[in-house]
Amino acid sequence: MKTTAPVTIAFVAGVIMVISFFFNEETTFVGGLSQELLNWLIIIGGFTLLLGVVSITRVNWTAVTQKKEGWIYKVFTLLSILVMSLPSVLPSSWSPLLGREAGSIYDWLFTYMQAPMMATMFATLAFYIASAAYRAFRARSAEATLLLITAILVMLWRVPMGEAFLNLFPGDIPNLLNTYIMNGANLAVQRGIIIGAALGAASMSLRIILGIERTYMGKG
Amino acid sequence: MSGIEIFQMWLVAFLTLALFSFLYKDNPIYKLAEHIFAGLTTGYQVGLIWDTVVLQKLWDPMIYDDKWWLLIPGLLGILMFSRFTSRYSWLSRIPLAFVMGTTGGVFLTTQLHGLVLPAMKSTMIPLGGGGGFAEAILAVIVVVGVISTLIYFYFSKEHSGALGVTAKVGIWFIMVSFGAHFGYTVMGRVSLLIGRVQFLIEDWIGSFL
Amino acid sequence: MTIWEKLEQLDRRWIYLAVAIAVIIPFLVPAKFPISVSPEAQSFYDNVEALPDSSVVMLVFDYYPSTMAETEPMAIAGARHFFSKDCRIITLSNIPLGGPSMAEEVTRRIAAEYGKEYGIDYVNLGYKYGYVSVLKGMGLSIESIFPTDNSGTPLSELPMMDSVTNYEDVKFIFEVADNATADYWISIVNAGYGVPMGVGMTAVMAPKFYSFFGSNQIVGLLGGMKGAAEYEILINHEGSATRGMGAQSLVHLLIIALVLLGNIGFFASGKHRRRIGK
Repeated sequence: MKTTAPVTIAFVAGVIMVISFFFNEETTFVGGLSQELLNWLIIIGGFTLLLGVVSITRVNWTAVTQKKEGWIYKVFTLLSILVMSLPSVLPSSWSPLLGREAGSIYDWLFTYMQAPMMATMFATLAFYIASAAYRAFRARSAEATLLLITAILVMLWRVPMGEAFLNLFPGDIPNLLNTYIMNGANLAVQRGIIIGAALGAASMSLRIILGIERTYMGKG
Repeated sequence: MSGIEIFQMWLVAFLTLALFSFLYKDNPIYKLAEHIFAGLTTGYQVGLIWDTVVLQKLWDPMIYDDKWWLLIPGLLGILMFSRFTSRYSWLSRIPLAFVMGTTGGVFLTTQLHGLVLPAMKSTMIPLGGGGGFAEAILAVIVVVGVISTLIYFYFSKEHSGALGVTAKVGIWFIMVSFGAHFGYTVMGRVSLLIGRVQFLIEDWIGSFL
Repeated sequence: MTIWEKLEQLDRRWIYLAVAIAVIIPFLVPAKFPISVSPEAQSFYDNVEALPDSSVVMLVFDYYPSTMAETEPMAIAGARHFFSKDCRIITLSNIPLGGPSMAEEVTRRIAAEYGKEYGIDYVNLGYKYGYVSVLKGMGLSIESIFPTDNSGTPLSELPMMDSVTNYEDVKFIFEVADNATADYWISIVNAGYGVPMGVGMTAVMAPKFYSFFGSNQIVGLLGGMKGAAEYEILINHEGSATRGMGAQSLVHLLIIALVLLGNIGFFASGKHRRRIGK
């Protein structure tokens, strides 16, 4: 039961979706059924996201109640979860501050706190990549040298000042870079990777549908 | 600028600088901002999923459109929470299997039809297609690059002989592509920093100059 | 300790400071360099220009707030371009973090510039979990996936949606993304329903999409902040991406200088011999 039921469900759902690819979604039974299953997928998926929220809340709550190291900061995490989520699930008909629309607490917290903080978190990566480029980006071998030269040329080409510099040399280097590096060698490699990855994803899908791949169930 | 607008501007500036302060040294202000950020990010999902999924896709259609059968995905969704118990955690495999099976079914066809076939089709281009010598050279680069990349990532056979030579060609192509990738990655990371500096200089400092 | 060894052990915070200075200077002392337009961005622009006026288009906000600096200028330029052609815009997002809020903010702001009205000229469908379901489901019926818009108004109450059932009524899709959802728009929607598509990607993602441009699965590609700046130049409306090009240039030059300095030290200190020797 613990294994057979999930494997059967994965098989039936998968086969319906594969068959429906070959049928009209609007006029056939299997097409309609596949649409209904996709709708179910949205609902179940929504619950999985909520599961993540509950899990994070539990972890932080445990840390606070057990006064683990840095618990005081986790109080702010819990408060932030509460302040962001509670007003958003209450109907906006009660107050314009509730719900998710413009002018709500939810929207305000997103615009003036969450979004700028997320943008800043990722902006710090610019410093780290500069430091890493200085310390680790070495021409240790012929292959590494090729990578380094291409990177420098592309870095120059993608900014106006660098492009102006490249244009000092004869032969329209920016155009050559776009044609033979980006739309030539790069395109070929990316296409090779896309073909390989897509074949891998398709075969993994087949393994899941046929019940050969079961690691998603976890242990036990 | 109104009082609330000034407050908003200073709040964003404070949070931005608080997070940047980590670059000098880890400190309590950074930690506080970081934890608030984690909380807000988690809380954001609650409002979004409650409204767009639980209410709009499950509750309203069940109550107002008599789609009673949506109880099934609703129950399957609730089964996900069995993961928090040790005795019944296996029940979460059922909705998980549904998600994996359905997604796998879509992927099996769309990955082949939407990615593999168009990529192969556009690689098989006639050399004498009327595009001239430069285009023929480009076509050769693409064909050699695609094949040698695929062979480089083919690990089921030892890379020796003809296979080894082709894999070697593949790695040269890969290095060029990864170099371009690195250049673009630098560009991306720098752009994100520019976005924050634009705010600090143009919006924040600009507001009181 | 030689100078090269000292340089190698330089406190990384000096590098951070150099980056900070390089990014700030161009905002204080602006220097203008011509911004060239790549064939990929030109193709994007030409394809939107070729759309019949009043066409229904999709503008997809598949990016997180983290990459706003690169992607938002593209979305803003796209909204301006579409509205200037009187196109009717459907916005949506597959991102559970910020997508619908950013779509709401950007479209309302740009719509006000062009005197466009919500529900008649543009609609924000918001977000639904699961891009596979959303992308495939809209092939049959947009309303089946999004029964209401982002604010909870039923689609049947929005006049613009009277003439829109599914992808057959959509003439162009502009996917602005910082993640792999763009792949699924291409493999599910473009391949399955044939809707022409242009993408605006973060720089990190852009190299991969040259492959899709080469196979004509997308008709245009905007890569990173430079791609956004190119689009701003094309629609003749300078924005934050164009203004950021000075800082982008200077930091690139700094990083190239750092790489060269690091390598000069590597060879001058003889470390390359020791490593190869090992």
